[in-house]
Amino acid sequence: MRFDSRLPDDAVNVSPTHPAREALTLVAGVAVGVMALVVVLAIAIEAVIPWIPPSFEARIFSNRWLASARNTDADRQAPELDDLLARLAVHWADNPYDLHIVAIDDPTPNAFAFPGGWIGVTTGLLDSVESENELAFVVAHEIGHFRDRDHLRGIGRGLAFALAMSALGLTTTNAAMRVATISGDLTARAFDRSQESRADRFALAVVAAEYGHVGGAMDFLTRLPRPEDGAHDGIRHYFSTHPLGEKRTDALRLWVRENGWPDEGPLRPWSGRAFGSAE
Amino acid sequence: MDPAIESLIDLGLPLAFLVGTYFVGSAIEARHYRSIRAREGALQRLPAVTFRSVPAGWEVLESGLVTGSVVISVDYFKRFLAALRNLVGGRVKSYESLLDRGRREALLRMKEEAAARGCSAVINVRLETTRMANSRRGGQGTAGLEVIAFGTGLRLRGDPA
Repeated sequence: MRFDSRLPDDAVNVSPTHPAREALTLVAGVAVGVMALVVVLAIAIEAVIPWIPPSFEARIFSNRWLASARNTDADRQAPELDDLLARLAVHWADNPYDLHIVAIDDPTPNAFAFPGGWIGVTTGLLDSVESENELAFVVAHEIGHFRDRDHLRGIGRGLAFALAMSALGLTTTNAAMRVATISGDLTARAFDRSQESRADRFALAVVAAEYGHVGGAMDFLTRLPRPEDGAHDGIRHYFSTHPLGEKRTDALRLWVRENGWPDEGPLRPWSGRAFGSAE
Repeated sequence: MDPAIESLIDLGLPLAFLVGTYFVGSAIEARHYRSIRAREGALQRLPAVTFRSVPAGWEVLESGLVTGSVVISVDYFKRFLAALRNLVGGRVKSYESLLDRGRREALLRMKEEAAARGCSAVINVRLETTRMANSRRGGQGTAGLEVIAFGTGLRLRGDPA
């Protein structure tokens, strides 16, 4: 028997595909797959939402912690807040919700719509607004989310996405999960932004009906932190949940003009308090 | 923090890791392959075969166990590719070159040991691979792989032919 001393063949056990090319193909494939998944989930949720009556929603999300926060501070919560909410809610004719408002102790100006008809406004927001008209726009914006039932959409999409990811066996520590999360987030944010625009327009209509003009309503938006350099707006747009400040106000001004609402008028002062006196 | 900056960090940091480990990993792999080919060339005349018995005509002076083992680890980039591949299925190409290097390195080390002991052939060669579990993450993660090559080194009168 003759010993044939040949060197191992490099090409047999290793696929010739370039790893960088493999990486790009896989990342693009997974990203497109996840984006499609998010769109499908969003469409499915869109179909489900009309079948959830607000009364059922209120029963499920009784928001015990919000209710209890409200009760502890019941004596202290500025009655102006309840009064403002009641006056604004009148402009939504067929409101099926029992709306509540609660001040949340947090220095960052922000407002939230919680399932079951609860609106949260931070003390940071209440301290920074310069007029009642400005606060009214923010509160009406949150009421708009209830009208469009956006809070259910947000929760539903988040939940469905998390379930889908865990079904695929992806955990947060996984690098592949980052690809999935980022592409999923970017897709979801496109939905978020269109919801915010709808809520904005509803808010303007409510403010116009309440005060007879929309003066001061958009002050909050113009005071939001602005990017230093406009060049990044292109990228920032895809990362933001709300339409970007300038774009958002421009779109709203156009909306105001189309509806013929006066954009100036007397402003009502806001006491600037989150809580009433405790005596 | 600005959510856009936060997202960029969230996206940029792993991306930087991926690009970094890709270049470092590729450089290390290229250097390893150069070393493997050079040493394979040097040991080309020492047969390592899977026969279980001594071929007829070989006069064995001495025999003994020779082994060569190597522990290899997966880099961040290869693990990332494999994780994505796990979602869709198919050949886990990023691990192929890693295991190829592991097997060839283990065989080389075995042959180097055999040569150092004056053997001129190794018969009954076997390869085994073991996953070394990571003690963290409940033993779920892989700390590395061991590839061991072993066989019977033979000291022969004359050359194997």
